[in-house]
Amino acid sequence: MKVLVPVKRVIDYNVKVRVKADQTGVELANVKMSMNPFDEISIEEAIRLKEAGHAEEVIAVSVGVQQCQETIRTALAMGADRGIHVVHDGDIEPLVVAKILKELVDKEGPSIVIVGKQAIDDDSNQTGQMLAALLGWGQATFVSKVEIEGDSIKATREVDGGLETISVMLPAVLTTDLRLNEPRYASLPNIMKAKKKPIEQFTPVELGVDPSCRIEILKVAEPPTREAGVKVSDVGELVDKLRNTAKVI
Amino acid sequence: MDFALTAEQTLIVDMVRRFVQEEIIPLEINLDPDADELEPEVLERLTDKTKAMGLFGLDTPPEYGGPEIDMVTRVLIAIECSQHRAGIYTPCYGAFGGARQAQLFEATEVQKEKYLYPMLRGEKRVFFGLSEPSGGSDPARAIQTRAVRDGNNHWVLNGTKLWISGADRADYGLVFARTGGAGRAGVTAFIVETNWPGFNVARVVHTLRSAKYATEIQIDNLRVPHENILGEEGGGFAIANDRLARQRVPYAAECLGAAIKAHEMATEYSKIRETFGATLSARQGIQWMLVENEIDIRAARLLVLDAAAKSDKGLPFRTESAIAKLVCSENGFKVIDRSMQIHGGLGVAKDLPLERWFREMRIRRIGEGPSEVQKHVIARDIIGGSLR
Repeated sequence: MKVLVPVKRVIDYNVKVRVKADQTGVELANVKMSMNPFDEISIEEAIRLKEAGHAEEVIAVSVGVQQCQETIRTALAMGADRGIHVVHDGDIEPLVVAKILKELVDKEGPSIVIVGKQAIDDDSNQTGQMLAALLGWGQATFVSKVEIEGDSIKATREVDGGLETISVMLPAVLTTDLRLNEPRYASLPNIMKAKKKPIEQFTPVELGVDPSCRIEILKVAEPPTREAGVKVSDVGELVDKLRNTAKVI
Repeated sequence: MDFALTAEQTLIVDMVRRFVQEEIIPLEINLDPDADELEPEVLERLTDKTKAMGLFGLDTPPEYGGPEIDMVTRVLIAIECSQHRAGIYTPCYGAFGGARQAQLFEATEVQKEKYLYPMLRGEKRVFFGLSEPSGGSDPARAIQTRAVRDGNNHWVLNGTKLWISGADRADYGLVFARTGGAGRAGVTAFIVETNWPGFNVARVVHTLRSAKYATEIQIDNLRVPHENILGEEGGGFAIANDRLARQRVPYAAECLGAAIKAHEMATEYSKIRETFGATLSARQGIQWMLVENEIDIRAARLLVLDAAAKSDKGLPFRTESAIAKLVCSENGFKVIDRSMQIHGGLGVAKDLPLERWFREMRIRRIGEGPSEVQKHVIARDIIGGSLR
């Protein structure tokens, strides 16, 4: 079976994000970009499925600007087999990405789509769920363990207050949580091979998807700076502050 | 002229940078500030990763199982590998593979089995015994250690070696000794095992490097089998000259890694540190220091990449590697000095890596050929060169 893995190009997790002076977004000029860390976990899981003999092919997909090819190459250097780049300049929303992925699923016929549970830039946490709905497939979100059992998947999910184990029929959409695996480093042989692996290109329109946005961003602002705390001399003063200043009791 | 990295080089740099950030720097939080070794099981966990990355044995030629990378890529990796506290002298604590004893690749098959392969596998440690109290920059003239033939099968060595790193921890190494008259042709290289009678580590020589010290070796009637001559008798300097010029290039690049990191730290710190109501970064005096750092780093980077590119193209690169070594160590030292100055008192504290880099980078201006000897080489090539 085939596994499809969307990979998003985001600001590198080590970079300190700065809001643009005009508050229309965050500063992207000269900022290091990398693959969304949750998507790395997805790629790792897909490669493990291939190494375990469950999958024959891992396809990495990215939607966005020309440089998304670098993100796809990173996936290929980790061990994905080929790439698909849906070229689009400008903002793109989870629903549009989900529609594009649906078209690609119809084209490629994968049995599993492994999606990062969220991207670290907009933290939407929507694409995987929307894709499952559009496809009419089952989904296992926030998975921290995946086992293939015949024509279904046993998945452990990280839910509030503990772990939940569910069984999902294939085909299915999985969204990955942090503890699913530890992604491998790329390797020199795979980096050299990555150059020869094909990356197909489409536009959203070629796939029959309207990429226009439904959400208008009005303003992006820095979180308020934390103010210094105060020391209290005794319990009485603490209770007084909690009641009258913080108004939490 | 295009200075851009290839897509592959970009991926390799990313991979190594991440390895340093995620595997090496977190370890250093719990290590002694002067540590230069990891626990064997920790090192093994890391070498498992570098082997999976296909980058173990960076200085091992591909025919001996090293990775197939060109010198430009080797330099880019060296710049990344050295961006941590111990990075100047022990990039990634040796996780990318062993010592650089380029000469042993010129050994005979029998010698390789016994001495080269165990070193490449990381099982044995090796020292390099060239310098003597009489000097290290011009060893062809300075070497006074004598080797005298004793019958058909043995040589007897007598003399003193100085500034020899790791001889007290090594299993074997190279000792250069005079077998003939004055000059280059009179010197022979011997492979000497450290447990042979007559081989004594006389003392440890403490230097600016707290972690690793040099040693003085006393050689008293040390009997060495004839088959342990490396290369030809009288050919001690002929062996591996090309490989030696080659290993000077990543050596230069390692000076740059620490400088880049120091500059980054100074830039970040200048933006948060306030004095008299303004950040340091708002002061022109500090800005100019940062500008000079930036220019020193960029100039050195281009020069070391130029040396690497010429070596990859099979062009002569002796002048270029001398320039790269000189500029990377001199500029690297200036950058670290300025970055330390910007950090003030913090700069000299062992809480930050700057003080260790400062000490170790000072040695880099002397080790592997002092700046003045590099200038000597460059001058010889300029004056001896034809008009262009």
